[in-house]
Amino acid sequence: MTQLLRRYADMKKEHLHDGLKKAWKMRTCYLFLLPYAALFFTFFILPIASSIFYSFTYFNILEPPRFIGLQNYINLILQDEVFLTAVKNTFVIAVITGPIGYILSFLFAWFINELPRWIRTVAVVVFYAPSIAGNAFFIFSIIFRGDAYGYLNSFLLQFGLIDAPLLFLLDPKYILPVIIVVILWMSMGTGFLSFVAGLQGVDRSMYEAGYVDGIRNRWQELYFITLPSMKPMLLFGAVMSITTAFNVCDVPRALAGYPSTDYAARTIVTHLFDYGFSRFEMGYASAIATVLFLVMILCNKAIQSILRKVGT
Amino acid sequence: MNQHSSMPTGGRRPLTRAERKRLIAAQEKRSRRKLLITAAIIFALLAVGFLFSSIQIDRIGAYNQQVQDGLIEGTVNNDISVYMFVRVIVIALAAVLALYLLVRLINPKRRKPNRSFWGDLFIYSIMLLFAAAMAFPLVFSVASSLKPLDELFRFPPRVFPQHMTLDNYLDLLVVLGQSWVPFSRYLMNTVFITFVGTLGHVMIASMAAFVLAKYDFPGGKFFFSVVVTALMFSGYVTGIPNYIIMSRMNMIDTYWAVLLPAFAAPIGLFLMKQFMEGIPDALIEAAEIDGASQMRIFLSIVMPNVKPAWLTIIIFSVQNLWNTNAATVIYSENKKTLVYALQQIQAGGIARTGLAAAVTVIVMVVPITIFILSQSQILETMASSGIKD
Repeated sequence: MTQLLRRYADMKKEHLHDGLKKAWKMRTCYLFLLPYAALFFTFFILPIASSIFYSFTYFNILEPPRFIGLQNYINLILQDEVFLTAVKNTFVIAVITGPIGYILSFLFAWFINELPRWIRTVAVVVFYAPSIAGNAFFIFSIIFRGDAYGYLNSFLLQFGLIDAPLLFLLDPKYILPVIIVVILWMSMGTGFLSFVAGLQGVDRSMYEAGYVDGIRNRWQELYFITLPSMKPMLLFGAVMSITTAFNVCDVPRALAGYPSTDYAARTIVTHLFDYGFSRFEMGYASAIATVLFLVMILCNKAIQSILRKVGT
Repeated sequence: MNQHSSMPTGGRRPLTRAERKRLIAAQEKRSRRKLLITAAIIFALLAVGFLFSSIQIDRIGAYNQQVQDGLIEGTVNNDISVYMFVRVIVIALAAVLALYLLVRLINPKRRKPNRSFWGDLFIYSIMLLFAAAMAFPLVFSVASSLKPLDELFRFPPRVFPQHMTLDNYLDLLVVLGQSWVPFSRYLMNTVFITFVGTLGHVMIASMAAFVLAKYDFPGGKFFFSVVVTALMFSGYVTGIPNYIIMSRMNMIDTYWAVLLPAFAAPIGLFLMKQFMEGIPDALIEAAEIDGASQMRIFLSIVMPNVKPAWLTIIIFSVQNLWNTNAATVIYSENKKTLVYALQQIQAGGIARTGLAAAVTVIVMVVPITIFILSQSQILETMASSGIKD
């Protein structure tokens, strides 16, 4: 037994030794990687690590952080009602806009795939433009304006569907749906481009083979041929939509005000900003960031395992 | 018999491929022309119907108005609703016909397998609807920015301006001229941040992508998987701790606070690495045999071959940096970005509705134009963007 263990340890050592030797041989590679890795570590890994660390402390930047254990998390869940509203809103927004935005991106990429080249280009620009148009979502504050000059209100008034203008951006009943519409409008981003490009690259002969093998309509073709060969792009698109679905911040702040009526448009990220940059309670804000981060990672893992099963 | 079949005048000679192609093309052209002529006739009939019903509606409407105002004796003519109905039907028919034409012209007779005509019609009409809905807010903001003040606040509002004016843009110039810090300063700040940030990002990210894609060294795969996870860290999640780190490094209120995180943006490295995997290994091995150094291989073999990828990450980086307002890390007014200054104008409330629309248009035009100009390269890069496992 001891002999076996010793042999195992030797093997491990040898393995390590080999690895180091290889690493030494490839040392120039590390030089190439170094500038990026250093910056990436400082501004992406270190923040996550320190946010986990600060989440167990009371920290207001002026005084050194003071360790308080799980107090931040306990306060979050038991005392901060606004946080629970924020969690609820974030989940409602994410659960609706994430999947719908993702599916719409794929469907439209698939629809325009067979169009002639120039129409396809126009369509890509039309669908992709909202997501890169800076803060063009600001125009929705005119469309949804609460008085009779607001575009939607005057439309509804003219057709007699309502008899007084609705306060779309102030009434808690309407704020969330309005924000969901705007987020959906902006949801065809990088993932959509990836789908468009990926669909162009699917091997044409597969479709002919499928036709011979008895595939009879476009939906069967989509499920049995297109989706399985698009898996890498689908994974990439999923990561992108999780990011946009959970990081809703600018849209509610610009449209519904900050803070919004009854916190109806409060999301986890606006809550984070409130504590981080308005009240400078960095420890508490870090706890919020950690929660958001964990939720996103878990969501990503779950979706990846679902996507692996697609079309098989 | 043999002689007969090879006679040039015999009509039964098998057609060559080129001839058959030409025949099919001619046939297609004829059928397309027939389709277009039929459509033109139907459209003309519909137009006549539309004009006729519109004239009737106007005439009867005016008459009814006069009756109601008591200017002339008589009863209200109720036929107006019939003509309105006719007009709606005519418009609907024209829309359906236009869609039908569109589908027929996009997909002529040579159908691909597994594509039914009605399926195409259904899909394209849904897509047209969505495209219109997606484009509406953008069109609306351009239109609003061209409206004079009285049209911005009229009831009922219209989408398109009736008296187009550039007043809002001129007013914007006036407002900008009054700003505390000269306006050109904001512009220069944004240009500086965008230029330096993009340059650094492309260099640093391509160097890292090159070794990750083309060399198998311990830790490389692990590092890349961390970067893929980091695609999800938006500026919001890391915002607070980044602020703390930057304040420790005394970078708050300097451009570095914007530039350094932009250098390390994961999306650039990711796209670059995926695209570089497409370069054949043989190319690099041949260069190695010829004695080229790693730097030499990177600069004169790999980089020229990934032009679409670096164009793409340049564009993503420019879009990202152009849109930063950096309000959380930059406090001095003379270091603020253009977008920040414009957003301050936009936040001016109801009185600045027109200005706000003009600002929106200016901010959105730049990234959209860049995308239109470079979309073919971007799509080429995105083709290799998938996450393989």
